[in-house]
Amino acid sequence: MTTIEPPPPKRKKGLTKKLVISMLLVGALPLMVGLFLAFYQGTQEIQEVNGSSFEALATETARKLDLVVAEEIFRTSLLATDVDIIEQLESKRDALAELSPHNLQQMLDREQTAWDAKDPVTLKEILEGPIAAILQRHIGGTFIDPGHPVPVITRSATRGFFITDRGGRVVAGLDANMPYLHGETNWWKGAFHNGVGQPYLGPLEFDDQRGTYVFTLALPIMDSLRYEAIGVLHRIYDAKEFFAPSIEIIRFGETGHVMLIDSHGVVLSCPILPTGTTISDNRLIPLVTPMYAGWTPAPSDGHGGTQSSIIGFAPLTNASRITQTSTGVGWHMFVWQSSNELFGPIEHFFKWTAAFGLLGVGLLVTLGYLAAHRITAPIRRLQEAARQIGRGEYHEPITLSTGDEIEELADEVNRMNQQLASQFAGLESQVQLKTEEVKYLEESTTKILDSVPDPVLMISTDEKIEYLNKAFKEALSLNNGEFIGTPVFHVFPLDSATQSRLKQEMQAIQNSSLFSSPGRETSMQSSSLQDPLVPANWETSGTNRQELRVNQRTYRYRWFGVPARPGKSPSAGLVLRDTTEESLLQDRVIQGEKLASLGVLSAGIGHELNNPLVGVIGLGEALQDETDPAQIKEYAQSIVQHGKRMASIVRDFTGQAGKQFSEEQSPVNINELLEQSLETVKSLFPSSQVEVHTHLGTLPPIRGKAFELCQAFTNILTNAYQAMKQGGSLDISTTTSGHDLEIRIKDTGLGIAPNHLPKVFDPFFTTKAQGEGSGLGLTVAYRTINKLGGDIRIDSAPKQGTTLLITLPVSQKTLT
Amino acid sequence: MTRILGISSRFGILVLIVFIVELFPIASLEASDLQAMKNLSPAKVADFIHAIVEADRKIYTTHIVKRMQEQGIVLAREDWENKNAIPLPAQFLHISSKLVAESGHGIRFRLISRWPIYRRNGPATEFERKALEELERSPDVPQRGIVATGKKQLFQAIYADIAINTTCVTCHNTHPLSPKRDFKTGDLMGGIVVTIPLED
Repeated sequence: MTTIEPPPPKRKKGLTKKLVISMLLVGALPLMVGLFLAFYQGTQEIQEVNGSSFEALATETARKLDLVVAEEIFRTSLLATDVDIIEQLESKRDALAELSPHNLQQMLDREQTAWDAKDPVTLKEILEGPIAAILQRHIGGTFIDPGHPVPVITRSATRGFFITDRGGRVVAGLDANMPYLHGETNWWKGAFHNGVGQPYLGPLEFDDQRGTYVFTLALPIMDSLRYEAIGVLHRIYDAKEFFAPSIEIIRFGETGHVMLIDSHGVVLSCPILPTGTTISDNRLIPLVTPMYAGWTPAPSDGHGGTQSSIIGFAPLTNASRITQTSTGVGWHMFVWQSSNELFGPIEHFFKWTAAFGLLGVGLLVTLGYLAAHRITAPIRRLQEAARQIGRGEYHEPITLSTGDEIEELADEVNRMNQQLASQFAGLESQVQLKTEEVKYLEESTTKILDSVPDPVLMISTDEKIEYLNKAFKEALSLNNGEFIGTPVFHVFPLDSATQSRLKQEMQAIQNSSLFSSPGRETSMQSSSLQDPLVPANWETSGTNRQELRVNQRTYRYRWFGVPARPGKSPSAGLVLRDTTEESLLQDRVIQGEKLASLGVLSAGIGHELNNPLVGVIGLGEALQDETDPAQIKEYAQSIVQHGKRMASIVRDFTGQAGKQFSEEQSPVNINELLEQSLETVKSLFPSSQVEVHTHLGTLPPIRGKAFELCQAFTNILTNAYQAMKQGGSLDISTTTSGHDLEIRIKDTGLGIAPNHLPKVFDPFFTTKAQGEGSGLGLTVAYRTINKLGGDIRIDSAPKQGTTLLITLPVSQKTLT
Repeated sequence: MTRILGISSRFGILVLIVFIVELFPIASLEASDLQAMKNLSPAKVADFIHAIVEADRKIYTTHIVKRMQEQGIVLAREDWENKNAIPLPAQFLHISSKLVAESGHGIRFRLISRWPIYRRNGPATEFERKALEELERSPDVPQRGIVATGKKQLFQAIYADIAINTTCVTCHNTHPLSPKRDFKTGDLMGGIVVTIPLED
């Protein structure tokens, strides 16, 4: 009985691990996901909320600043529409128009020179004239406009304040910090606008004279009809000072602030960046300078930081309308707070949550492990029990009191265990019985095989001994050691040619039994697959001379197939029969037969010699008394004739007898041998009434022993003559078919009874009377023909005569 | 959003271009042939200009602003540059006036009112002030006169500007800077001043 070994434990993850992982997946994963989602959502919302706030702040600041700028422009425009100023400029225009071009030019050149030379009269005229006085009053806050007092801030931010006429020449100003002519400057051309006039709000520029960043407001002064410009009011502001009060006071948190930039990203005012610098990241500019308010997540903060940030922005609508027309750039508000600060709280929150989350995971693992252990411990016990039961060991009943499915499972296992145990008990006794039977069969087979006198051997496909019986051991004089598993040719002293022949035969046997079901012999091997214990006709095995010589003994052998065990390849069985004694006996019988035939031959010779000898003796006696010389001569001649006849008989005899013991095979002529044999047999039956017909065809010579063949033919012919004692006809014919010779000997004698027919070649089988035959004639003939690879077939019926068909091969194989 | 903005701004530009193209032949006619053609008085020229300005503003108000507003495409707003909006009809007239002035033919036209939202749009001269008063009495009679700035002689004609639809009325009645808030459709809101130089 084969026991099934439990498979080696190959689990990669134990149940505990799985349970813990499941708990983690169920418990921690949603936690993590939730945490990340919360963080993400929180970040998004913070962005949203802050973005909206920043947008609102930017919008509000932009609106306020826009109003400040608009107010400033408005207040300044009050000067540009001041009736007195207009009147002054108109009268100046009209005065200049009175002059001839030459005089005009002279006057202008003179004024230019005087201004450049800081001529006190000219300076006084410009800086203290009636228009200058109006400017002074405006700046000084005493300009009368009840609804629009001038704020101190814009007053103090003013860095330059002057008026030019329609030729760009300075007409009035607060100080002399400017050139005389402005007709070619951008602000002048922009505000004068070819006489049409339009407000000009200039770009941020560094003023070398004043050493600060400034921007320009230039307003056209239209004539009293508002038909065309007659001058330009020009005001220069310190950008920082102008904007800072509206912008730089707005701070929130650590870094949150508002800044004013133009649409090229140049800072007009910022609590952090100096005025005049450009924001650090060009990518931000298009994001934050559209002509509408909004907020955007930005890749950097514009203040040199590379952290992403949120920026609220809004344009200064009115101011931008003017600056766009004037210089092509707009003014924009920009609200920013550092991401660190912005997202600080949520990151802080996230860190803490993550820490608690980790703690939670740790707790989950620990508790999960404990819980899993509670579940797996009873399962382990069950597993161990199942393994023992699987090995066929009886296991004590498992007692589990978990109160759940595992306890039920344990009960089931216990039940199964009991059932198995009871079933095993019955099985075991059956197995024992069968084992004993097998043992008995094995022993009896061994005994039987050992009692067989023939050596029996079984060989596996890899040429190892599977079994050998006692006779085999004795035959090979092997000791009583263990030979099973030994390579067969180690114990079998055979020459290599025999070994290879045996191997081939063995393979043939094994291959044939490989594909045949056990117990059914294949037709191909039926002649050799006989029961090895039946002493079958060892002699009829045809051309295969299955003989071995081992230890000076001759064995005939026979293969038989042994059915394969389940899962194993079939083995081959070999039965040997010691034919040494048998061969010796046969040899002796044959030798006797040979001697007997020699006797027959001698008798024939004697008979042949006797007649002439009697004649010689008679003639000799007659010669003694004869005196007639003629008669004597006649007698002497007769004696000589008899003597010659005798001599020829003796020569014939010696010629045959000389060859008969020759062992050498030589080319022989079958026709000649047949004729010789016929002559010999004829001489044995001198009174025979047999008519002989010979039809001898042309035959090729074959190799053989002439004497033996002659003897065989003699035996056959003798049988034929003996069968035709009452006379008959004997037909002898020979033909050849190329590779075979056929000798047909047909008599019309008594024939052979059917029950005798199978035995005619058996040694000592005879139907003849005592002294007529030895019973070896056909045996010897068969052996002789068989040795040459030929065959004898007998066709006979009682009283019908007998036909023998002898075939002999002509092939080269036979000749050698 | 950008698409609509694009449409609105393109539309605005298109209208301006149409307007300018229409004005050119009149301007050139006036500039080169005025003296030769004695019977073409400045008053007639001013009437032409006024008719065209009025027609354009009417087209803009009725066929553009109103329809756009009705179909919800864009709104006419004062801060039209930075929102999804187009200029108000008054702004439209201002812009075209500025373009005409920039064209260099010396012709000006502008809106004036006794109740301007912005002070700069009040009457500049005594003539204008009186003209507005006259127009209040008889809106159909344009006020004409010759004025001078320095040596320059100018012909001015001032036409009544009537609230032609609710849009004008609503806007002026609700604007925070508006000094008068009880306009009705058909009321005189102010005048259009057309100024033509009488000599180069």
